[in-house]
Amino acid sequence: MNNFIEITELKKVFGSGIDEVHAFGPVTININTGEFVSILGPSGCGKSTLMLMVAGLLDSTSGKVEFESKLVKGPKTDIGIMFQDNTLVPWRTVKENIELQLELRGLNLKDYQEQIDNILKSVSLEDFATRFPNELSGGMQQRAAFCQAMIHDPKIILLDEPLGKLDAMTREKIRADFQKLWMIKKPTVIFVTHSIEEAVQLSSRVILITPRPGKIDREIKIDLPYPRDLKVKRSPKFIEYVNSIQEVFHKYGVI
Amino acid sequence: MKKFLKWIASGWMLILFFVGFFLFWEYSIPLFDIPRYILPAPSEIVSKGSADLDKLIYYTGVTALETVLGYVIALVLGLGFGIAISFSSILRRTLYPFFVSIEMTPKIAFAPLFISWFGFGLMPKVIIVVLVCFFPIVLNAILAFNSLSNELTLFYQSTGASTLKTFFKIRLPAALPQCFVGFKYAAINATVGATIAEFIGSDKGLGFYISIVTGNMRPDLAFAGIFFLTCLGLSVFGFVTMMEKILIPWHISMKRINK
Repeated sequence: MNNFIEITELKKVFGSGIDEVHAFGPVTININTGEFVSILGPSGCGKSTLMLMVAGLLDSTSGKVEFESKLVKGPKTDIGIMFQDNTLVPWRTVKENIELQLELRGLNLKDYQEQIDNILKSVSLEDFATRFPNELSGGMQQRAAFCQAMIHDPKIILLDEPLGKLDAMTREKIRADFQKLWMIKKPTVIFVTHSIEEAVQLSSRVILITPRPGKIDREIKIDLPYPRDLKVKRSPKFIEYVNSIQEVFHKYGVI
Repeated sequence: MKKFLKWIASGWMLILFFVGFFLFWEYSIPLFDIPRYILPAPSEIVSKGSADLDKLIYYTGVTALETVLGYVIALVLGLGFGIAISFSSILRRTLYPFFVSIEMTPKIAFAPLFISWFGFGLMPKVIIVVLVCFFPIVLNAILAFNSLSNELTLFYQSTGASTLKTFFKIRLPAALPQCFVGFKYAAINATVGATIAEFIGSDKGLGFYISIVTGNMRPDLAFAGIFFLTCLGLSVFGFVTMMEKILIPWHISMKRINK
C-alpha cells in the first residue's frame, strides 16, 4: 500500500438553500500506483463529479484529494483525461489531434513522433493518422481519443465512461486495446463506468457507488490474471464477480 | 476544364430555370401588353442600360466602396467586441444586453439622422453599413465563443496551457463556423444598408441612380442599376463564402455543400 492517490471525506453539494442538491460523498478512497480502479454506479450517482474533483477541475464542497501527499488545488496537469464525448477537434487529423495534447503542454513534437506511430499502431489506427475525426467511426474516434489522452505518458489516467456511446461489439474490442496499453505503460487508472462486466474485466479493484448521493457501498478486489480475454470472461470466477455485483445493485433497485 | 464541365452538368437545371425565367419575362411583355414604363423587357434593359454603362460602372464603384469599407469596419469591431464580451463577465452583464436590445431596433431607421448629422458624403453611408453589419457579427461571435463543449474546456484546463495558447489552438478555430454565420448574414445586410443610405441622401452611387431614374419613369435603367447592385451583393457574399471555405475547410456544412 503506497497510497498514491488519497481521497479523504470528499463531498460535493451543488447549489444552496432550497435548490441544494447533495450530489456525492462523503467518500474516502486510497489508490496505489499502477492500480486500475473502476468507479461503478448507476447514472446520476456522482461518479463523474468524483472524477472531476480528483482532477482538480471541479471544487469539492468539503474533504480533500492528495497526490503523493500533495493537496490538489486547481486543475491537475500531469494527468490524461478522456470523456464519453471525445476531445478530438474537427479541424485536425488524428495525428494532429494527438499532437494537440503535446502542443498545449509545450512539449517538443519531434521527440514524440516515434511514440505517436507506436501508440497508433497499438490501437490499429496507423492507417488513419492523416484522417479527420468525422471520417472515423465512433469506436475509432474513441481509440484516437485514448491515444490523445496517453501520449504524454501521464502517471494518472482518468476515464469518464469513454465507451458509453459505443455498440457492444466495439466496446469489447476497445476494452482489449485499453487493457493492452495499460499493461505496457502501467499508469494508475480511475475508470468511471456503469457497465458491471466492463468494470470486472478491466479493473484490479471495483468500487461500488450507491445511488445519489453517491457513497461507497463496498470495494471488490478482482483477483483474475491479466490479460483478461474471452477465456477469462467465461470462467466461473469472472461470472461470480459479475453476479455478486449485480446483487448489490439489485438491492438498491437500480437493476 | 473538367471541373467546369462538372459544374455545368450539376447546374444545368438551374441554368435552364434562369433561361426559362428570362424568356417568359421577355415574351410576356408583348403577350400581355404590359406598358414599358411599368415593366421593360430584359432585352430593353440590356440595350438601354449599356448606353449608360460608364455611369453604372462608376456608381457601382462608389457603392462598392461604401459597402466594403463599412463591412470591414463592422467585422473588426464585431469580432473585437464579441471576443471581449465572451471573455469578460462585466461586459457580458453590461454591453451584451445593451447590444441585444439595440438589435431589436431597425438600424436603418437611423439613416435619415446620420445623413442630417454627417451630410451627403461617404461617411454617413459607411456608418449605416457598419450599423447593419455589426450586430449580426457581434452577436454570432458571442454565441460562437461561448459554445465550446464542456469536454474541450476540461481538456485544455487539464493541460495547464496558457489562455493565449488555448485561444489560438482551440477556442478561435472552434468558434469560426458560428462566426461565419454572422459574417455571411452581415454580407447580405451590407449592400442593403449602402443602397438605402443612398436612397435617403446622396449625389452618387447605385441607390442614388435607381431612385433618380425611377423618378424619371425609366424602369429599364432602374433594372440595370438593380442588376449591378445584385452583382455587387453576390461578389461580397461570394468572397465571404470563399474565405469560409479557405479558413474552415473541415467544417461539416462545407462538406455537405461540396457533395
